[in-house]
Amino acid sequence: MFTFPIAGIDAPILLLVLVGLTVGIVGGFIGVGGGYMVTPALIVFGFPGYMASGIDMTHIAGKGVVSTIRHRQLGNIDWTLALSMVAGTMLGVELGVRLLVYFKTLGISTVVLLITSVVVMFVLFLYTQIETRRAHIKLKEMSRDGVEMGRELQTSNLPRFFQNIPLAPIMRCRTARVVVSMWVVVAVGVVTGALAGFLGVGGGFIRVPALVYLVGASTHIAVGTDLVEIVFSGGYGALRHSMEGHVDMVAVLFMISGAMLGAQLGSIATSFVRGPAIRYILSYSLVLATCGAVLRLLYVLTGQSVEILSLFAVMLTLGEMIFLCLFILSLVMFAQRHRKGKWVPDWVPPLVMAQKRS
Amino acid sequence: MKRLINTMWGYWVLLLAFSLAIAAVAYEVWLKGRI
Repeated sequence: MFTFPIAGIDAPILLLVLVGLTVGIVGGFIGVGGGYMVTPALIVFGFPGYMASGIDMTHIAGKGVVSTIRHRQLGNIDWTLALSMVAGTMLGVELGVRLLVYFKTLGISTVVLLITSVVVMFVLFLYTQIETRRAHIKLKEMSRDGVEMGRELQTSNLPRFFQNIPLAPIMRCRTARVVVSMWVVVAVGVVTGALAGFLGVGGGFIRVPALVYLVGASTHIAVGTDLVEIVFSGGYGALRHSMEGHVDMVAVLFMISGAMLGAQLGSIATSFVRGPAIRYILSYSLVLATCGAVLRLLYVLTGQSVEILSLFAVMLTLGEMIFLCLFILSLVMFAQRHRKGKWVPDWVPPLVMAQKRS
Repeated sequence: MKRLINTMWGYWVLLLAFSLAIAAVAYEVWLKGRI
């Protein structure tokens, strides 16, 4: 236990470092900040809610920089796409926050927020899971037929529809190999930003599927590009929270010491897998977060009297971080074994890169 | 066990159960009484 002078509480250091490490790995791999996992965990550790949010945002900003640098080295960032989205995202966040304030004045913000989280995350989970499963089956068939498989395969027709919208100016995103109207990218930024602002999260889990299924970027590029957005939103959030005195820098330092390593591991892990593997992990993250939100919603709807629901939600949040982290690390391990010709489960070969990408 | 790991759902369930068990241990060791 360590006494945090600014927050004025005792909390276990090792858990803070481990949370930073696990969320760093997950964030670097699927391109999210992980606020929806970290903030509830910090509250459980004893930090007040506002400080949990401030510490989380500050550590996300630092971790985002590390992940972005790594993904840039891996060639996973399309700067044209990233910078075009930033303006739309900022506008969207402002709209989302105003909408939240409106519901707050009606006195129903908590219930509306939890119901929206459940619906948004469940719909995203369902679409990502169904599409990824289809892509996985297709990759299995290609593998069986001896057809060479690329790094990416996605089966959705939505990108074609959005790329065919003929609204000038048309952008050529060279790294993402996408030609799309700038207005589509800005609109995606506004909508995902509004949802993120409303739900009070960074929004990576909304933007990554949006970049893949609406804009048509590959999953690796979506992850890298979204991390650039997270640096901007996390940096701004960290600044605002610091000005309000919501940040315990000692806690941030402990978390970030784990997150720095985790973010690098997670980013590097993307080079071992194909796009569908990243989308699988994203969909698992979404379904577990949905279950956590359902438990919290039930806890609120029962007048906060059934304590076991709150306890299950906490266990699920901690379990989710460990599960995602272990799944990612095991995928890397399976990829290594597959390269050496050792036994791996049947579902693994279509999801991992057989050769190191040059 | 190998048959369970050979299917994606089996591996998913196994890993989730293992993760929740670790979370339960972490709760017992560090967090009990804080919630």
